[in-house]
Amino acid sequence: MDISRREFIKLVAAQSAAATAGVLFPGISFGAWEKLDLSSGRIKWKKTPCRFCGTGCGLLVGVAGGRAVAVKGDPNCSVNKGLCCVKGYHSIQVLYGKDRVTEALVRKNDKLVEVPLKEALDLVAAKMKETIKDHGKDAVAIYGSGQWSIPDGYVASKLFKGCIGTNNVEANARLCMASAVTGFLTSFGLDEPMGCYDDIDHADVFITWGNNMAEMHPVLFSRMLANRKSKGHIKIIDFATRTTRSSQASDKSILFRPQTDLAVANAICYEIIHNKWVNWDFVNKHVSFHKGKTNIGYGIEDHFKFKDKAETVDFEQFKAFLKDYTPEKVEKISGVSAQDIKYLAALYGNPDKKVTSFWCMGPNQHTRGTWINNLIYNIHLLVGKISTPGNSPFSLTGQPSACGTVREVGTLTHKLPHGVVMKEKARQLAAKIWNVPVTNIDPKPTYHTVEMFRALDRGDIRLMWIQATNPMVTMPNLNRYRDGAQKEDRFVVVSEIYPTPTYDIADVVLPSALWIEREGFFGNSERRTQHNEQLTPTPGNTMCNSWQLIEVARRLGYEKQFPWGRETHIEDIWNEYIQFHDNPKHRMAPYKVLQARSGVQWPFVNGMETKWRFNPKYDPAAKGEGFDFYGKPDHRAWIWLRPYEPAAESPDSEYPFWLNTGRVLEHWHSGSMTRRIPILHRAVPSSYVEINADDAARLGIVNGSKVKISSRRGSVKMPASINGRGIPPKGMVFVPFFDEKHLINEVTLDAFCPISKQPDYKKCAVKVERG
Amino acid sequence: MEEKPNHKADQKIGKVFLVFAGICIVALPLVVFSAITYAPKEIIATVLETASFDFDHNGKTIFEKYDLISDAYLKSTSTGRTLSQYYSRRQYPGSPPEIPHPVEAHGITLGCLTCHASGGWTESLKKITPVTPHADLESCMQCHVRPVTDTLFRAIDWRSIPPPRLGRSHLPGAPVPIPHDLQMRGNCIACHVGPGTVAAIRVEHPSRGNCRQCHVPDLQVEPFRR
Amino acid sequence: MPFFSYLAYPKPGAKQALLNDLTTLDHCEVMVAENEEILILVTDTADEKKEKELQKKLNKLKSLQSLGMTFGHTDEQTKDRQKE
Repeated sequence: MDISRREFIKLVAAQSAAATAGVLFPGISFGAWEKLDLSSGRIKWKKTPCRFCGTGCGLLVGVAGGRAVAVKGDPNCSVNKGLCCVKGYHSIQVLYGKDRVTEALVRKNDKLVEVPLKEALDLVAAKMKETIKDHGKDAVAIYGSGQWSIPDGYVASKLFKGCIGTNNVEANARLCMASAVTGFLTSFGLDEPMGCYDDIDHADVFITWGNNMAEMHPVLFSRMLANRKSKGHIKIIDFATRTTRSSQASDKSILFRPQTDLAVANAICYEIIHNKWVNWDFVNKHVSFHKGKTNIGYGIEDHFKFKDKAETVDFEQFKAFLKDYTPEKVEKISGVSAQDIKYLAALYGNPDKKVTSFWCMGPNQHTRGTWINNLIYNIHLLVGKISTPGNSPFSLTGQPSACGTVREVGTLTHKLPHGVVMKEKARQLAAKIWNVPVTNIDPKPTYHTVEMFRALDRGDIRLMWIQATNPMVTMPNLNRYRDGAQKEDRFVVVSEIYPTPTYDIADVVLPSALWIEREGFFGNSERRTQHNEQLTPTPGNTMCNSWQLIEVARRLGYEKQFPWGRETHIEDIWNEYIQFHDNPKHRMAPYKVLQARSGVQWPFVNGMETKWRFNPKYDPAAKGEGFDFYGKPDHRAWIWLRPYEPAAESPDSEYPFWLNTGRVLEHWHSGSMTRRIPILHRAVPSSYVEINADDAARLGIVNGSKVKISSRRGSVKMPASINGRGIPPKGMVFVPFFDEKHLINEVTLDAFCPISKQPDYKKCAVKVERG
Repeated sequence: MEEKPNHKADQKIGKVFLVFAGICIVALPLVVFSAITYAPKEIIATVLETASFDFDHNGKTIFEKYDLISDAYLKSTSTGRTLSQYYSRRQYPGSPPEIPHPVEAHGITLGCLTCHASGGWTESLKKITPVTPHADLESCMQCHVRPVTDTLFRAIDWRSIPPPRLGRSHLPGAPVPIPHDLQMRGNCIACHVGPGTVAAIRVEHPSRGNCRQCHVPDLQVEPFRR
Repeated sequence: MPFFSYLAYPKPGAKQALLNDLTTLDHCEVMVAENEEILILVTDTADEKKEKELQKKLNKLKSLQSLGMTFGHTDEQTKDRQKE
């Protein structure tokens, strides 16, 4: 008897038993998970934004017996219309890892030991007082996150900027969104996209710039695919440095050499002008031309300073500037054929096609990040494809509240919830709402993120409080910053939910309540604010980050500024915060509205959301005919003359490969959450290095063999992946950064965009050897 | 049938089981049928739905899908799947199941739907392919992933609800209501009809395409009161 | 080659013990119901002699209350059919 027949009979045997059991015991299950005793009887479905990426999908979480037990997409949420990705569907499992941090810990004799929470909070407050007394107010810092709930960031800013009086407030969104912000500010004078996800349902052409949306924004990607399938004529063009799942699903994949997107964008503009595709009506009425400084450096050295200076020019000067960027010249720089450049230009230039561009970390984590953001806007502005349904230059975000908490609340060194610290009017408004003397707010910004960790290393900063992020996995040139944080006389407070490499260097660990264990708000990529109520009890002594900050603030003597009760503080904070944005350009929805709806887009004016900004048809703040780019004093959008300049570090004979880093679909950020979700870990249990098959053959590397990747800063060994999920071109390797066992950021370079101060995680030079 | 096997019957085991197997073949459909229509007195898990569906609960989709299925497929009965396998691939009832067979690493769409859009015999896996209830969605690996290891990064204390009880007719012999959500499961045919489906939830009257004529979603809202 | 499947009922409270006992026996495959006091046992022995030995062993299990047979198959069936 052959094996398969034998297996078949056994299967039938088992099935008949199971069928019989099903009759005798209806509902009997031989499933894999532990069943909850449902004495409570009912599942209640409650809305919340997803905890992971910046897409901001609406979820319905099934709650039974005090536990989150199931997830489905929220059909009322226009972001995802009831569909999630594998991370969203399993997101609730992140609450239940057995090594959850539920008690406070303090380092004693070089070991973290459990202490009562009150003792830990007392210690944090005492250390802060002592540090300020001995080293000044600028020796304490808070490093937050685009995963902070909006009230967390607001309270942190109020405590540090308003009460203590230091601008040492930064967030990890500096590492992912800063170039998007400076891109928006320089081109439009106001942050955040003018369009919204509805553009996906209107566009005819999608061009994605250095953006693997199939893995990073899967819900938006499949929305593009669904549109393509139902309409037929839609084209998706993947313009990137490596071949990914997105390339495979796109209609055309165009590869460019790292950093040369700058040249290609200019070449597209050249072609648009050359072929007379310029929308002159739009350009004459709504665009002005400007140039800034060039050869602006890379910020590799400590105390690097740069300030751009805008000079107004005219169209003729722009046209002359573009002479260096003919498709034929740019083909030599970028490796993109002149024909493909002309193809891209023709798509943008075709007056009958609505074009949406998407990008995220490719253009943002770029030593010329602000420039490439400007350049994509240039293209859209030349052809007038902006601020109308389907015509949208759309900058995506990577974290659930990078927009909500960092960009809107302004948890960056130079920002206040409204305006910048350098402006007296902004300081006055903040002082009034915060109930502090205006002199408290320092008019000088201090350190951006990379410089803040350098200051910690140098000793200019002595105490750093880190919340909701994992810099000991995510900082570039990690070795320096880890050593710096562990020096004598440095005190690191970490608010965490699980043990991580950042937890490992902490002097105090505060146990944090996570996501739906507390009430809060996130703000997604499309100006949408989303509220969640507390759905499950807080485990152990965990406490939400806002309340940890409030507890410490009160110990520092700021009871008056933090008067709220524990039950209502989230609502109270919201009501105070939205006073900052009480104007038609940025008005936020009231608490009650947010509670009721699956997200509301700001500006929320006269009970209406704003889907397309700067267009008077949709935006009550826009006046007049056509468009009104009211963010700039001349009410025009700015086209910038930005040249191609090379990367901070390029491959050479000693380090002949580009190193590119990023994510995979299954893991999010530093992996401290997604790796604890069984199905996600089982799908991608460890990091790996993608290498081109030709390079691998030359180096004698086969799939799975150990590879050593080294740069001038560090090295890491990991298994090789050849012709796997992503395929880098010859001369490039790619490594996902989620794995704390393979810290690729010990290899990356801390060069940054001089305007945005955002590091470039996508380009540095490495050598690759058999390990 | 609740007895230990009788040793004395061993000598005649062949004949006994010839008869027994015959009974099994006849009885299996009955067993399955009764599994679906059995009415327990108490319903343990009830599900509170949000009132977010269209009023017809996507009924149109089901009807359209039905039209696309061939008669031969509707009447097929072979199977290789059990309810326990079905649930072992899910983290909770309704979660996207993991991919139980090897897949090309460098893939996202297209490949999956070649087999899973319409089902049928897959030679390479020697299996009958189950049909996806949402073939209109193309980006399969957005939700479905292939495990490559059994281990965990850290242990987890995960619990969820039991799957819906089979056969919860409100009256003896009455058609069962639909015990699960219809979101992402708009195509009844995919999971309840044909050779790729789980025997215990397969219907015995597949030629009646208008499922919702008799089976209605059981939303477990409060009883009607004036 | 005889194949059988049974519903195996443990003595009260002995579900885990029965699972342990059955999994140590040769020729046995077990599936446990998660939410009922019952197991599915599938046996697959080489010949009638082995089958008898297994039945004896099953009879001696202290954790076992009773077995309900749900399926049976031997090669004799196939041979019988061929004769006809």
